[in-house]
Amino acid sequence: MPALTDITNKIRESAKKLLASGQAEVVIGYRQGTIPMTTSPFFARTADECDLLVWSNFARINLANYLPGRAGKVAMVAKGCDARSAIGQVTENQILKDNLYIIGVPCTGMIDTNLVVAKEARPIREVVETADDSITVKGQGFSTDIKKDEVLRRNCKTCVNRTPKLANELVGQEVNGAAADDFADIKALLAKTPAERMGYFKDLIKDCLRCYACRNACPLCYCPVCFVDETRPQWLGKSTDPMDTMTFHLLRGLHCAGRCTSCGACETACPVNIKVREFNRVMELTVQNNWNYEPGLSWDQKPPLTMFQTDDAADFIK
Amino acid sequence: MSEYIVKENALVDFFKSLASGRRLLTPQGLGDKCKLEETPPDKVNLDFSNTHMSPKSLLFPQTEALMAFHNDASKPQAFVYQSLGDKGEPLAVFGIRPCDAKGLSIANKVFQNDRFTDNYWKGKIDQAVLVGLACDNPSPQCFCAAMGGSPFGEAGLDVLAFRQGKDLGLKPLTPKGEELVKASGAQTANLADAIKGLEAEAVKSQGVPPDYKGIDNADLMALFNDPHWLATAENCLNCGVCTFFCPTCHCFDIQDETSEKGGVRMRNWDTCMSWLFTVHGTGHNPRPSKTERVRQRFMHKLKYIPLKQDGVRGCTGCGRCVAMCPVNIDIRSVALKMTQTAASQA
Repeated sequence: MPALTDITNKIRESAKKLLASGQAEVVIGYRQGTIPMTTSPFFARTADECDLLVWSNFARINLANYLPGRAGKVAMVAKGCDARSAIGQVTENQILKDNLYIIGVPCTGMIDTNLVVAKEARPIREVVETADDSITVKGQGFSTDIKKDEVLRRNCKTCVNRTPKLANELVGQEVNGAAADDFADIKALLAKTPAERMGYFKDLIKDCLRCYACRNACPLCYCPVCFVDETRPQWLGKSTDPMDTMTFHLLRGLHCAGRCTSCGACETACPVNIKVREFNRVMELTVQNNWNYEPGLSWDQKPPLTMFQTDDAADFIK
Repeated sequence: MSEYIVKENALVDFFKSLASGRRLLTPQGLGDKCKLEETPPDKVNLDFSNTHMSPKSLLFPQTEALMAFHNDASKPQAFVYQSLGDKGEPLAVFGIRPCDAKGLSIANKVFQNDRFTDNYWKGKIDQAVLVGLACDNPSPQCFCAAMGGSPFGEAGLDVLAFRQGKDLGLKPLTPKGEELVKASGAQTANLADAIKGLEAEAVKSQGVPPDYKGIDNADLMALFNDPHWLATAENCLNCGVCTFFCPTCHCFDIQDETSEKGGVRMRNWDTCMSWLFTVHGTGHNPRPSKTERVRQRFMHKLKYIPLKQDGVRGCTGCGRCVAMCPVNIDIRSVALKMTQTAASQA
């Protein structure tokens, strides 16, 4: 049986059990999208609805995004990165651990549809996901096999924690991720001059529409009112002024420092394909270097930016 | 008005004529980089699907400075807002798809009607001549026919162009369009039957369009109060992608920005998906959760606009929101749910 089908069946089975036993009032998973290469976050509350849950190479939105502030018992389908986000939310007191059940999916990576379109530019009307290491895209008069390795999202290529080891259960065989993320690209970027780096980031966000899909798809961005939406005082202009746009991205990057699990939901959501994670990756590396901290790897770790340590490397805080 | 034809070897001359005394904009680039750009007459590309974003920003830019003041008291009119006027210029836009042109025609009734005229919009549209290019091979995401349009739709266009083999057929639709086509030296031809044939083929490729007529006849409050909105909105992220990409979404926010030298009053795209869109000065918010906001968007497209615009739906079936929504909220599925509500009320 193809791995995806097997995982789909196990998710449905688990979801039904959780609902029947009262361990969960709702199971948040994915259902098939209405157009090729999409899935849609789906809230299953009945056994029939559980049969709509699927696993796919396109389950890219992080479902932990729907957890903060949720009352009652909830189960979520989670990849390694998503589970880490959910655990992060527990450590940040956004949801009670006892109310959360993680159906963990050992993940072999999600597919970047832009890379698929780069390989097959003709209009795709159907995608077949029965093979484990490739997909087949079909359209009028063509059927093209594409190796999954060649179209993985870039965060999936460097993912170390593919198996959500802290999940309440695993639906599938454990998989190994990359040995380590060496951050070579970010180190190269940080080696440049401040002017070059500013140029890089200005160019990166030049198409930004300020639609805030990145923020709204992010499981870390759960502030009741985001600073860009504050009106008294209004911190930021509403136009497409490059400085305002840059301020949004820089501040979001800083707000997410030490919390981002590289789930890539922001980049999946971005309608103009901005590599939003570049900001987060700089902060990820900074936090790792300073405090040797990676988020979402234990239930009781404390986020570094909420902590005070007498042996902190920075002088100003002592 | 009869139809016209431009032979393959006369295409560059035709585009030169379009560009004469005007800036010629056509879709350039591929995929998410495809946008309307100034184009030399010999670089017009007829093989594109559609522009990544709708053409509404031509007439209604995401950010537009409306008026400005300076605060130098030694000069006249200090601290007084002066209109920056319309930013219109003679434009020929070639390659607008019929869904997008229809979108402009719907927004046009918001910006120009018997109660208001928005000079910033009017200044631009009055100087623009819009030449559409019919879709002979609609994309998988397209559903214009389901929304009462057609791949060969004419609404909002001055001229409808279509591929006729390697030649380009032209159907002028307004006096402005007729003048443009005549000046281009295109030859008259009777292509009415050809258009019918091509149109039927293109419509067929979209499959049998779902029937949403039930929504048109349904009681507004029954649609509004239907419990499905809770489930429909449950996975919505409340980002602004659908509204920013929509060819008919036209809501804006006016903001004043000041500096040490003066100030500018600007108009920016706004989005009803945002919490901020409806929050009152008191803190009260009549659309407090995403359920109300999602309902607003779909009711606006499928019920309120048809009520105000003689039955024309506020969705033209361009498919952008379906393709771009990060969580795949599909307006066709929502329209079906609304149709079911209507059927259960009947």
